[in-house]
Amino acid sequence: MRNKEREATSVLLTGGTGFLGSHLTVALLEKGYRVCLLARSRRQQPAEYRVGALLDWFGLPADSRRRLRIIEGDVTTPGLGVAPAVLRDVLRQTDEIVHCASSTAFSERKRADVERVNLFGLSQVLECARSSAARFFHHVSTAYVAGYTSGWCAEEPATPRRFHNPYEETKCRGEQMVIAACREMHLPLSIYRPSIVYGDSRTGRSLLFNALYHPVRTALFIKDLYERDILERGGRKAVEMGVRVEPDGTLWLPLRIEVIPEGGINLIPVDYFTNAFLSIMDGAPDGGIFHIVNQRVTRVEHLIDYTCRLFRVAGIRACEPEAFAAAPRNAIETLFDRYVEPYVPYMSDRRRFERVRSAPLIERNGTRCPQFDFEMFARCMAFAVESDWHSPLETTELARQQ
Amino acid sequence: MIDTAAKQTAAQCRHYAMCKIDYLANGICPSGPEKHYVAYYPQGRMDLYRALADDLIPMTEALIDVAESCTLCGICDPQCHFVTGLRPMTVMQALKDHVRTHLDEKRPVQRPEADEALTRLRAIVGHDWASNDPAILFTYADDPFPLAGIRMPRYVVLPGSRDEVAAVISLANEFKMPFAIRGNGGSVFGFVFTDGIVLDMNRMRRIDFDVDNWCVSVEPGVTSFELQQEAWRRGFRVNAAEPAATVCGNIVCTGTFSPWSNVYGTAADGFIDMEFVDRNGKVFNLNDKSAPNVYAFEHAMIPSPGVCTKAVVKLHPVTDDEEGVLVPFADFREAVAFARDLSQRRIALALAVLGGQYISTFLSPSQTLSDTIKHVLPDVLGIRYLVLAVVDAHGRAAIGRMTSNLIDRALFRTLMLGLPRLGETELIDIIRGYEGNSAPYELVCRPEMRPLLEAILRPSPETIAGSVDEDLRDFYARLYARPEMTDLVWLSMFRIVSARMSRRKHMFAFLIYVPLDRVEVIEQIIAEFGRIADVHQIDHDYGFLTPMDFGKRAILEYDYYIDHTEAVEKQKIADAMVTIGPWLDGLAATTKGVTFLMQVFSQGCSRKENFLYRLDAL
Repeated sequence: MRNKEREATSVLLTGGTGFLGSHLTVALLEKGYRVCLLARSRRQQPAEYRVGALLDWFGLPADSRRRLRIIEGDVTTPGLGVAPAVLRDVLRQTDEIVHCASSTAFSERKRADVERVNLFGLSQVLECARSSAARFFHHVSTAYVAGYTSGWCAEEPATPRRFHNPYEETKCRGEQMVIAACREMHLPLSIYRPSIVYGDSRTGRSLLFNALYHPVRTALFIKDLYERDILERGGRKAVEMGVRVEPDGTLWLPLRIEVIPEGGINLIPVDYFTNAFLSIMDGAPDGGIFHIVNQRVTRVEHLIDYTCRLFRVAGIRACEPEAFAAAPRNAIETLFDRYVEPYVPYMSDRRRFERVRSAPLIERNGTRCPQFDFEMFARCMAFAVESDWHSPLETTELARQQ
Repeated sequence: MIDTAAKQTAAQCRHYAMCKIDYLANGICPSGPEKHYVAYYPQGRMDLYRALADDLIPMTEALIDVAESCTLCGICDPQCHFVTGLRPMTVMQALKDHVRTHLDEKRPVQRPEADEALTRLRAIVGHDWASNDPAILFTYADDPFPLAGIRMPRYVVLPGSRDEVAAVISLANEFKMPFAIRGNGGSVFGFVFTDGIVLDMNRMRRIDFDVDNWCVSVEPGVTSFELQQEAWRRGFRVNAAEPAATVCGNIVCTGTFSPWSNVYGTAADGFIDMEFVDRNGKVFNLNDKSAPNVYAFEHAMIPSPGVCTKAVVKLHPVTDDEEGVLVPFADFREAVAFARDLSQRRIALALAVLGGQYISTFLSPSQTLSDTIKHVLPDVLGIRYLVLAVVDAHGRAAIGRMTSNLIDRALFRTLMLGLPRLGETELIDIIRGYEGNSAPYELVCRPEMRPLLEAILRPSPETIAGSVDEDLRDFYARLYARPEMTDLVWLSMFRIVSARMSRRKHMFAFLIYVPLDRVEVIEQIIAEFGRIADVHQIDHDYGFLTPMDFGKRAILEYDYYIDHTEAVEKQKIADAMVTIGPWLDGLAATTKGVTFLMQVFSQGCSRKENFLYRLDAL
């Protein structure tokens, strides 16, 4: 698509203050699209303020922001929670819809929320699509709609019998819903299926510190806890737990992490995701289903090694399940086990994702998914630590609360 | 010259009378036990400073004595702070300064003349124990109840015996003068006011144990805390009310209910006999064949049987293996079902389903920490309700088989003494990142997690003391070093943290007996209280639910919170009551097992069966 065409194209984007949504918003604006962003207010921060804070974080220039319109609303509210007249005006001017709003919670405890966002929210957006002038629907899904399976997963509608969590299930049901609705509306549809997304491969910057980040943060929390105990309080608790300082100054944590000796984690950086998305958006006028994944998975053992090297920790090691039968988990291991439990299906993942449709479109401009090596890990974690593991939105909210 | 900050503090006094009992084993205002009038306790001085600031009373002889009797010893400061967060010392100092300036400037001091009634009252009780001094009277004229205004009595009398009570009542009848009884001098709910004589029973404080008969005789000035303390010292327990409430007053008003009502019942279950002086000055005991039948219950507002001058209260056995535990729940129905099960199976002694507001307030020595914990419990740990159960070793084993989510004595101590760290942002972030299917509290309850939890929370008296004003930290650290401060059995018996419920704002508690087997009725009542409060923009929260009579019935508390010093807030309650009164009456008339506690008022001696199971339809 040429620049002029883009400038004439108006995109309605949901989930604009989320991780992927905000990156896509900036990428679309930089490409010259006009973007109408549906964003929520939160904790007395209006949507406009929140989006402004995000765009400042991205360093988006003022001239790009002129093509942005912010509508305060919420996909989980009928009519998107937007005044009918305003919504009519927006929909009349909408050429394409990019639906990013999603709950990525895995927990069964949060099923109601996940269903509300990923199913009811989607239904509301599809309702709006019906009465809009939109000529294309872009739906951000996940590679993990594949559910319980192993081996190759095609870029086709998924029909698994079981899922690992409500997130996978609702995203799969969402795909079915959006396919049926768009077929009925004769609306071209692209479904984008990223794997696990981390920060920017060039800078390490990220807006979200879950998934890959959270286990590392938890390990660091425990490390800091016992380091302080040793330095400030004589280390009694550290001794009880078997934590010690090694002669070279590294902290030895007795932490075994259960790992199946197969597969690995499929990680992609967010800049790769946005580039891939734009390539597909530009290059697939008839739509389709597209995996945006890494061809090379990362082994958990490597992540453990990276963590130990970067943060000067020892004692963390991957173990096969049998090891825990011989020696039960200690408190740190119990905590870790519970924390990584939801991620187990993704840690030793034997699912492989076809790229028959997506690869030619993504790679035609030379875009390649970078390897997740120690340098990448260090870059991303350095940014996380520098940000104190908070997104700029959380930081402004915290500042306000204080 | 009035100190505005001191006046504001004075106006916030909740009248909980906690300054009249030595509940922190830190001593008590020295002038109070000597002079007995409310005015000589910190609560009274708070009232008097407010009255002076608002020009409601003149400078009087008694007021000067009240001010000068304050030694600024400082006992009241931590004592009041523990429950209300207030620091009354500024008021004590301001009152003394104000009086001193008044005297230095040689401004007038009133000394009310004794009239005939006062002279005769003094002849009955002794010169020192009857007064018409406005300063003395004012401390019996007002309370934080938002729907009652100031009502000055003509006299305050402190009888010392049953016979003096009878003589005072005969005199009141002779002068056709109304009277009101104050057990501990205080008032919270706006009921005990009069234009005539206030009888403050504070001098009648005898406690006589008859252990062979498993009972103890108490006079009307004895508080629940004092009785429980004496019973506990002898290896017994009584079903006690709020610590500063008097035993007799509580029984007569509504009957005693507490988490222990699960096994000890309420109303007539609590006593063996009671002695009254009736409204004609005649003495009778409830066990007299000719005594009025106060065991019957009438669904109407009726006057009390008279002035209680003695109650013979039941003593209950205590075993040395008792332990208080908490079981967390995310869901109200599940919590209620669990509590009901414990009650039906006779597993627990004390038992209650506590809400987040209650438990966070109980645990936190400061309002700031309480506000944080109130959010941490549900939003971070997933705890919306906690079933409190005091159990013996057999009960403890049974609960352990019923659930693995148990906050036992050791874990409770860890959580309580480490509470400030539970509210720290970094820990909250870590817990929030947990995406597992079970609630985060389940992880906290796992025994193997204890060492890590202790390393994280660093529980110690100093840690929890870190949440209060710096100058109080040493006191709090010493206080929380005492084992009973983290012992749920002791805390449930003495209930000293319950008084914190009014710390944020004055609490307006609604208590309703409900059918425990119909949880949908309880939910409807809770929802309706919430709806009405929202309509009137009143802060509100679920309080607690205690099973009774083997889980067939329960008592529910729902609380509204208002700033009683704000006229607008008072009006909100007044408006809400227009809806609440008829709604509850209608509900009680149509739903078996529902009785508003207000209907039991003054009928606290009745058999609980007569109001829990109303047989109108038979």
